Amino acid sequence: MLKILVSRLLSTLVVVFGVACIVFLLIHLVPGDPVEVMLGESAQQADREALRSALGLDLPIHTQLLNYFNGLLHFDLGVSLHSKRPISEELLERIPATVELAVASLLIAIMIAFPLGVIAAVRKSTIWDSSAMTISLLGVSIPNFVMGPVLILIFAVQLGWFPVSGREGFASLILPAITLGTALAAILSRMVRSTLLEVLNEDFVRTARAKGLSETTVIWKHALKNAMLPIITLLGLQLGVLLAGSIITEIVFSWPGIGQLTIESIKRRDYPVVQACVLLISLTYVVVNMLTDLAYSWLDPRIREGNL
Amino acid sequence: MLRFGLSSSPVTLDPRFATDATSSRINRLIYRRLVEFDGSFTPIPSLADWQRITEQHYRFTLKTQGRDFHHGKRLNAVDVKATYDYILAKNNASPHRATLALIARIETPDENTIDFFLNKADPLFPGYLVIGILPAKLIQQGHTFNRQPIGSGPFEFSKWPEDSRVMLSRLRDKQKLEFIRIPNPTVRVLKLLRGELDMIQNDLPPELITYLAKRSDIKIIKGEGSNFTYLGFNMDDPLVGNHAIREAIAYALDRESIIKYVMGGAARPASAMLIPDHWAGNPGLALLEYNPEKAKMLLANAGYDTSNPVKITYKTSSDPFRIRLATVIQSQLAKVGINVDIRSYDWGTFYGDIKSGQFQMYSLSWIGIKTPDIFQYVFHSESVPPNGANRGHYANPVADKLIKVAQQAGNLDAMAVSYKMLQSHLLETLPYVPLWYEDHVFVSRSDLEGYTVAIDGNYDALVDVQRRIRSN
Repeated sequence: MLKILVSRLLSTLVVVFGVACIVFLLIHLVPGDPVEVMLGESAQQADREALRSALGLDLPIHTQLLNYFNGLLHFDLGVSLHSKRPISEELLERIPATVELAVASLLIAIMIAFPLGVIAAVRKSTIWDSSAMTISLLGVSIPNFVMGPVLILIFAVQLGWFPVSGREGFASLILPAITLGTALAAILSRMVRSTLLEVLNEDFVRTARAKGLSETTVIWKHALKNAMLPIITLLGLQLGVLLAGSIITEIVFSWPGIGQLTIESIKRRDYPVVQACVLLISLTYVVVNMLTDLAYSWLDPRIREGNL
Repeated sequence: MLRFGLSSSPVTLDPRFATDATSSRINRLIYRRLVEFDGSFTPIPSLADWQRITEQHYRFTLKTQGRDFHHGKRLNAVDVKATYDYILAKNNASPHRATLALIARIETPDENTIDFFLNKADPLFPGYLVIGILPAKLIQQGHTFNRQPIGSGPFEFSKWPEDSRVMLSRLRDKQKLEFIRIPNPTVRVLKLLRGELDMIQNDLPPELITYLAKRSDIKIIKGEGSNFTYLGFNMDDPLVGNHAIREAIAYALDRESIIKYVMGGAARPASAMLIPDHWAGNPGLALLEYNPEKAKMLLANAGYDTSNPVKITYKTSSDPFRIRLATVIQSQLAKVGINVDIRSYDWGTFYGDIKSGQFQMYSLSWIGIKTPDIFQYVFHSESVPPNGANRGHYANPVADKLIKVAQQAGNLDAMAVSYKMLQSHLLETLPYVPLWYEDHVFVSRSDLEGYTVAIDGNYDALVDVQRRIRSN
C-alpha cells in the first residue's frame, strides 16, 4: 500500500511539474497582454511600462518561469496582477464554494441515477426501461445554461422557494446542484444500467436467486456491489470535473467558485491566477484519481492483494 | 438595504490605481475630488475652487464642505499633496502618472491652499485633477486602500466580504448599499424581478429591457450617454485605406434602423468623438447620411461591383451583443456589395490585435472621454502605438496642425475652435466611421425613487435614492 502511495506521489509531482510548465508557456503565448487589459483605452505608454516593470512582466520569459517555480517551492503562488491580493487567499475564498457545490451535485446525481439505472436494468425492454432512459437522455441533452435559468424561472421567480443566485445559505445551493446533478445523473444512470445488466447474467446472481434471497437483496447487495467498479471510475471522473469548477453553472448562478475565477483571470490575462487555478485543478484530478484507486482496492479484494 | 446589480466587480477601491469603470464609479461615492465636470464636461470646483495665477501656476483653495474623512480626521491641503505626490512618484507605478506628469511640484502654503506648479502651460489642467483624495497619514503608513478605502465622500465603506459583494453605508442616513456582481444578464434581471436586487444599470440586452418595460413592478430610466462607438480602419491597408471605400461604408450603414430595432432606441447617432454638448464638441456637424445608392456608386467608381465585391475582415469582441451588431452591419454592407468576414475574439486577444494594428476594420467604444486631449492621443500621426492610440496609422497633416494649434491655445474657447474644426475634418477624412453614443439604462423596482442617470454613467445619484414607503 505504502509503495503504491509513494509511486503515486512521485508521478503526481511529475504531472504537476509538466502541467505548470505547459500552462505557463501557453498563457504567455496566447495573444493579449494583462497590462493593456488592466489599463484600458486611454493609458499612456509610460504608465504601461511602469506597470509592466512593477509586475515583473518585462523580465525575460525564462526568468519569469524560474521565479514562478521558486515561488512554488516555497508554497507561494504569487500575487494577482489584477487585484494585488495573494492568490492563495483568493483560492481559499473560492475552494469551499466549489467543494460544496461539487459534493451536493454528486449526491443529487447519485440519488437520481441509481434508482433510474436499476429500474431500467431490472425491467429491461419494458416501458420502465425506456422512460428511465428517456429521462436520462433529457438530462444530458439540456445544457446547463438553459437548465439553470429554467429552474430559476420556475422555482425562484414563480414559486419563490429558493433565491435566484448567489451563495447565501443552504437554499441557494439547491438550484445549482440540481442543474449540475441532473446532467451527471444522465450519464451515470446509463452506466448503472449497462454494468448491472452484465452482472445480472453472472453465475453468482443465479446462485443468490437459487438460494432464495429476495430480489431486492440480490440486486442491491450482490449485483450492484459487483457492478460498482466502472461506476466508481465514472464517479471519480465526475467528481474531478465538478471540483475543477463548473464554469457555466457558476456563472449562471453567480456562484463564487474556482470555475468563475479561472475564466475571469483568463479573460484579463491574470497569468499567476490562471496558473494557480490550473495547478489546483490538475492536483485535484490527481488526488481524486488516487482516491478512486484506493476505493477500487477496498471494493475488490483481488486488487488489494495484487492478483489482478 | 439597497442592492445594486453589476456585471463586473470593482478591481480596486484605491483611486490612485483604479482604471476600470466599475471601480471608478464606486470610488466616486467613497472619495471626493478637487474638480468635477458639468453637463458640458467643463471642469467645475468640487472640493476646491481654483484660480490660474500664471499659465504654469494654479492655486486651489479648499472649500468647507465635504472635508471630513470617514476615520474622523479633516481633509487638508497636505492630504491633497500626499495623494498627488504618491501618484507622481515613479516607483509607485500609478496608471494615472503620465496624465499628471506635467506637475512640476506641489506646495501647501496653509492647510486650505494647494499650489500646483507645472512644467508646461495647459489650459486643460484643472480637468486632470479628478483623483479621489486620500488621508496623507494613512498613505504614509501604507494603508491598504484597495480593500479598505477611507475617503470623504457621501458613502462610507463597510465590507468587501467576497469578490462579488461590496457593501457601503450612506453617511446621511446610514442607509446600507450593496453592490452585487451577477455576470449573467438574464439572471441579473430575474434577481431584480424577485426583489433580490433593487436596481441595475446598463449591460442588458435590448430584448430584456423591452420585456422589463412591460412590467408594472419595474421602472426604467434612460439617459443620454457619452460613450462613443465607432468603426475603426487600418489606413495602411490598400482596401480600407482608400477614402472612397470608407465613405461607401459610411453611406451603406443605416444607423437609425440599427438604433431603433437592434438597440431598442437606446443610443443616438454620432458624428464625432465628443458629444455635441461638450464644450469642445461640434454641434454643427451633419449626421452621416444613409444612402446605399451613393455607396454603390462610390464602389463602382473605385472599380468594384457585385461580381467583384470588396472583401473586408471585421474584428469584434466575443460579447454576444457586439457580435449581433456586427452581423447587422455585415448584412447592411452586403447590400451595397461589400462582403464582410466577421472575426470575434475574446477580449484580451481582440484588444491585443487592435493595439498591434492587426485589423482591417473593427468596432469599439471610447468610454469616459472627458477632455479633448484625447484627439492628440488618437489621431496625431505621432501617436501610433506604443506612443498613443492611433491604431489605424492615420497620418494627416491638417489634423496634426489643428491638434497643435489647439494645444497652443491659451484658453478653452480658443482651444474649442480648433477642436471643432478638427472634428469636422475627421468626419470628412473618416479615419473612424462614427456610429453612436450609447444611452445609459437604469432599471429598478418601481418603489425606488430619486435616481437620475448621469451622462458618463456614474452612480453619484445613489446619494438621493430612497425606497418609497407604502402608505396603506
